[in-house]
Amino acid sequence: MTTMKSGSNLERVIASGQPAVTGELGPPMSADPAEVVHKAHVLKGFCDAANITDCQTAIVRISSVAAAVIAQREGLEPVMQMTCRDRNRIAMQADLLGAAALGVKNCLCIAGDHQSFGKAGKLNGHPGAKNVYDVDTTQLVGILKKMRDEGLQQGGDKLQVAPKFHIGASWTPLGDPLDFRPVNLKKKVDAGADFIQTQGIYDVELFRSQMKKAADLGCFERTAMLAGIIVPKSAMMLKYMDSSVSGITVPPALIARMAKAKEAAGDDKKKMKELQEAEGIKIAIELIKQVLDIPGVKGVHVMAIEWESALEPIVKGAGLYPRPTFADA
Amino acid sequence: MIVGTQKPFPEIWEMVQGFKRVLVFGCNTCVAICHAGGGKEAEILATMLRMKAAEEGVAIEVKDLAVQRHCEPEYFDQVIEEVRGYDLVLSAACGVGVNFLTQRIGNVPVYPAINTSFYGAVPKAGVFVELCAGCGNCVLHLTGGICPIARCSKSLMNGPCGGTDKGKCEVSKDIDCAWYLIVERMKELGTLAKLSEIQPPRNWATARDGGPKRIVLEHIAEEEAAEVKK
Amino acid sequence: MYVKKLMTTLGIDPARLEMFNLSAAQGPRWAEICTQFIEKMRAFGPSPIADGLRKQKCV
Repeated sequence: MTTMKSGSNLERVIASGQPAVTGELGPPMSADPAEVVHKAHVLKGFCDAANITDCQTAIVRISSVAAAVIAQREGLEPVMQMTCRDRNRIAMQADLLGAAALGVKNCLCIAGDHQSFGKAGKLNGHPGAKNVYDVDTTQLVGILKKMRDEGLQQGGDKLQVAPKFHIGASWTPLGDPLDFRPVNLKKKVDAGADFIQTQGIYDVELFRSQMKKAADLGCFERTAMLAGIIVPKSAMMLKYMDSSVSGITVPPALIARMAKAKEAAGDDKKKMKELQEAEGIKIAIELIKQVLDIPGVKGVHVMAIEWESALEPIVKGAGLYPRPTFADA
Repeated sequence: MIVGTQKPFPEIWEMVQGFKRVLVFGCNTCVAICHAGGGKEAEILATMLRMKAAEEGVAIEVKDLAVQRHCEPEYFDQVIEEVRGYDLVLSAACGVGVNFLTQRIGNVPVYPAINTSFYGAVPKAGVFVELCAGCGNCVLHLTGGICPIARCSKSLMNGPCGGTDKGKCEVSKDIDCAWYLIVERMKELGTLAKLSEIQPPRNWATARDGGPKRIVLEHIAEEEAAEVKK
Repeated sequence: MYVKKLMTTLGIDPARLEMFNLSAAQGPRWAEICTQFIEKMRAFGPSPIADGLRKQKCV
C-alpha cells in the first residue's frame, strides 16, 4: 500500500485501483450557503470527491475555499480549485494554508478563464479587473509540492506544519497546438501533479491517441488521469461546445444522435427536453465506459452543469455505484 | 516604440474648459509614428479646438508647437519660456512626456491629449501591435523571440492554457495565441525541447510590480557632473 | 475621407467639404463647380462655426 500524501478519499480510491469518480459543484452568487448545502447532498455518495469551482468564467461566486469547507461539513469531500487569475502567490499560499487548516485535502490548479469572460449575457462581470497571473498552473503545482514535501513557502521560508495536499492540475488534451499538449501535461506532472482532470471528451479516439503520446512521455507513472465527461443536455449544447468551446471536439455522429432524440418528441417542448436529457445521460455512460478502457485513465470527472441530479443515474448506469468506502474513514 | 492614441475629442474639449490660453504641444518621435501626437496631429487638434470654440462661442486661444522629443529635456528646454506663457499645456506626447514636462515647466498644468498604451511595432501601415511588456528580465531566448508576458493574455510561462482556439486567444479572435506562435516558431528553429523545461515562478520585482524604476549609468552621470563643475 | 470624420466629430455636416480634381485648363468646369457648390451651401445655411462667431460678436 503506497504511503498516502494527503489521505483524502479521492487519493485512497485511486490508490485502491478502482476507477475514481469526481463530480462538480458550482457555488452560488450569494452570501447564503443553502445552495452549496443542497448540491452537496445531491452529489454525496455518487462521487469520491467533487470539484468546487473557483469563480468559473470570472463570475464572482462563493470562493472555492469557503464552499469546499461547507461541502465538507455536509459529508461531501471537496476538490478545491485555485485559479491563477485572481490571487498572487502570497494570497494563494495563505488560502492554501487556510484550506489545509480547515481539513481540505484535494486542490486542483488551473489557469482560470480570463476576466473578460465575466461580461456575458445579462451579466456585467468584472472585465476591467486587474489580471493577476503572478504564477501559472505549472508553477502553482510546484508551489503546492514544495509546501507539502519540503514544508517551505515558495520564497523559501519554513512552514511550521506542512499542508498535506493531493495535488491536481487540468489538461486540455485536444487543444491547439495538438502535438504540444502531451508535453504540456508532462511539465505539470514533473512539477508534482498527483492527479489530472481533463476538459470534456467526446472524441474518444483522438483522446486515446493523445493519451498514448502522453504515456510514452512517462506522464502516468505516478499521476492518475481522470477523463472529463460533460453531460450533454441537448443537440444545441453539443453544437455550441463543438464550435465555441476551445479544446472540445464533438463527432458529428453524436450531434446527429441527439438531434434524432429531439425529433422523436415532435412539437412537444417538454418531451424534447426529456428525451434529449435521457439521451445525454446514455451518451455520458457510454463515454465513461469507453474512456475507462484507455490505458492510463484511472477515473472520470463528471461535469453535469447545473444538473447535479444527473450524476446518480450516470454513475449507476456506468456500473460505478456504490462508491468505495474505507473502514477507517 | 511607445504606442498611444489620441483621446476622444469630447474628452479633450472638456479638459480645456476654463482655460484661456492653451498650447497643444506635439512630439515628433513615437507618437508621430503612430499618428497620434506629432506636429501634424497637434496642428490638427489645435484647429479643431479653435473651430469648436467658435461653434460654442467660447473665448479660448489655442496654439500648437512641436519638438523632436519630450523625454529628453534639451528638446523642449529650447522653447520652455514660450511654453510657460500658456495657462494650459495640452501635451500630445506620451505619458512620459506629460510627466517629464510637468517636472520642468513650473506653474503651468500639463494635461494628456494621448492615451498611452503599449510598446509595439508597425507590421503594416496603420497597424500597431503590442510586443513587449517591459518586464525587466527578458526571456525571449527561451521562447523563440515571442514574448509570453506581453503577448499571452495570461502571461503564462510554461505553455498554453485550455483556451487556445485554432491558434487564437480565448479573449478575442483578433489575438494570436502567443503559445501557439511560440511552439510553431521553436519547431521551425528545432529548439522545441527547450519548452519541456519548467520555468519557475518569476521575480516580478524587475517589472512595475517592484515599484517605479530608476537606472543610473555611473560612468555617464559622473562624467556629466564633472563637466558641469568645470 | 479622414477630414470628413473630424468634421462630424465637431458637429459639422461632412457634405460641407468636397474634393474636386481639375487641371488649370478647365476654366468652365471650375466655374460650374463653384456655382453649384455655392448654391448647395446656400441651401445648407450658415455652418455651426459661422453661427457661433456671429453670436460672439453680439455678446
